[in-house]
Amino acid sequence: MILLEAHNVIIHTTLHEKLVKPSSLDVQFVDFDGVRFRLSTPEKDKKNILLLSMHIRCWDELVKYGALNVLQREYGALLLPNSEPEYNVSLQLDLEQAPADQESREAFVMSLALFKRNALAAPFESAFQAQKRLEGGSQLGDLMAIHYRDEEAIYVQAGSDRVTVIFSTIFQDETDRIFGKVFLQEFVDARRQPSIQNAPQVLYSSRDPPLEIRHVPGLRNSEEIGYVTFVIFPRHFNNPAIAAATVSHIQSFRDYLHYHIKCSKAYMHSRMRHRVAEFQKVLNRAKTEQPTAERKTVTGRTVVSR
Amino acid sequence: MSNVLRPYLAAVRSTLTAALTLENFSSQVVERHNKPEIEAGGSREVLLNPLVISRNENERVLIEPSVNSIRLSIKIKQADEIERILCHKFTRFMMQRAESFIVLRRKPVQGYDISFLITNTHSETMLKHKIVDFIIQFMEEVDKEISEMKLSLNARARIVAESYLTAFNA
Repeated sequence: MILLEAHNVIIHTTLHEKLVKPSSLDVQFVDFDGVRFRLSTPEKDKKNILLLSMHIRCWDELVKYGALNVLQREYGALLLPNSEPEYNVSLQLDLEQAPADQESREAFVMSLALFKRNALAAPFESAFQAQKRLEGGSQLGDLMAIHYRDEEAIYVQAGSDRVTVIFSTIFQDETDRIFGKVFLQEFVDARRQPSIQNAPQVLYSSRDPPLEIRHVPGLRNSEEIGYVTFVIFPRHFNNPAIAAATVSHIQSFRDYLHYHIKCSKAYMHSRMRHRVAEFQKVLNRAKTEQPTAERKTVTGRTVVSR
Repeated sequence: MSNVLRPYLAAVRSTLTAALTLENFSSQVVERHNKPEIEAGGSREVLLNPLVISRNENERVLIEPSVNSIRLSIKIKQADEIERILCHKFTRFMMQRAESFIVLRRKPVQGYDISFLITNTHSETMLKHKIVDFIIQFMEEVDKEISEMKLSLNARARIVAESYLTAFNA
């Protein structure tokens, strides 16, 4: 499993289970970037009515960039006007009205499992539209900032011939920072290969923010921060299916990078464990054997040392 | 083992073998104490001349003999930031398990990455030439291990980057 999935597995499996056999339910769970979910049956006697709520840190910013329109488009009547307390947005669904045949049922469940992805898609989609408007000119669109984690943010800006997406990311400790640098350098170099020349251009800088966001107040300027810039060209969002794939894919970049950094650390650890066990064996060979055989006197008594 | 490494390791091996002539020696300062003199440093006349075997400015071994103990410190090659962090992680991992590596010191001597302390008890309960073998094998393999870990990190990073970027084409 090299690539991360865009949908939430818990929503996906739980809904499939409940479609087969409805029962009362109340689960709270989390996703990447501190997103909280709650899936529950609000009324005890109506087991077919489910409420799915989501709390997302940057909800106010997302609403500003049109998240409600995207969710309205995706979920239509399912979207509740007022969300459950402590959550930002809620969907209400009736299991009995779910499509019956296998294929459309899977699509229905999948669209619900993509709840977080759809909410986060709004700024990207509006940037894609803005790029269409600006085409031919030399103006730049508005810089949209999404502070989706405590100290990390995504910046999206449309240009006349491109959309620029900038991730700021924090590396917790020094090992992460150095591993992260190796990974990001490979992202920059990988594009030289002919097979992936069509991929978005990737640039990265540690410490100094890129020019596009240098005027933004409150940026940290320290060793452990890194900035990754993706330059997305119109060929990545010209057709709606490709645009949707691009949005899902680019959203998961930060999680993908950190997931693989953690994986490499775990791998290094298992390697070291193995190597140290080998050294241990070599050292054990140096130990002289203790006489273990029982010593006895002529009369048959055992000699015991105290 | 590469040909360049061999004379270096041979020098360490013969020096260490020569230095491993340890005998039981009670403290001259405190009655009924028996401590590794190289660590206690209480009486100067039982300490012998320390010796540095240096392969280049980044790789060297310091051997400090005394009458009943010998301390050997190794500086491991670290060409760049990645090797530095991998070396640090590896030595730390080993030193946390020092009690099972009887001759390993929990902290390296200043300026070195890892230190061993061999006392007369160790040379009595263990075979002397096998202890030397262990240290030489450690020196041989630690460089190899670090460069392999670095290669695998780079290989992984490349695959990760390629598969992420290829997905944009799909």
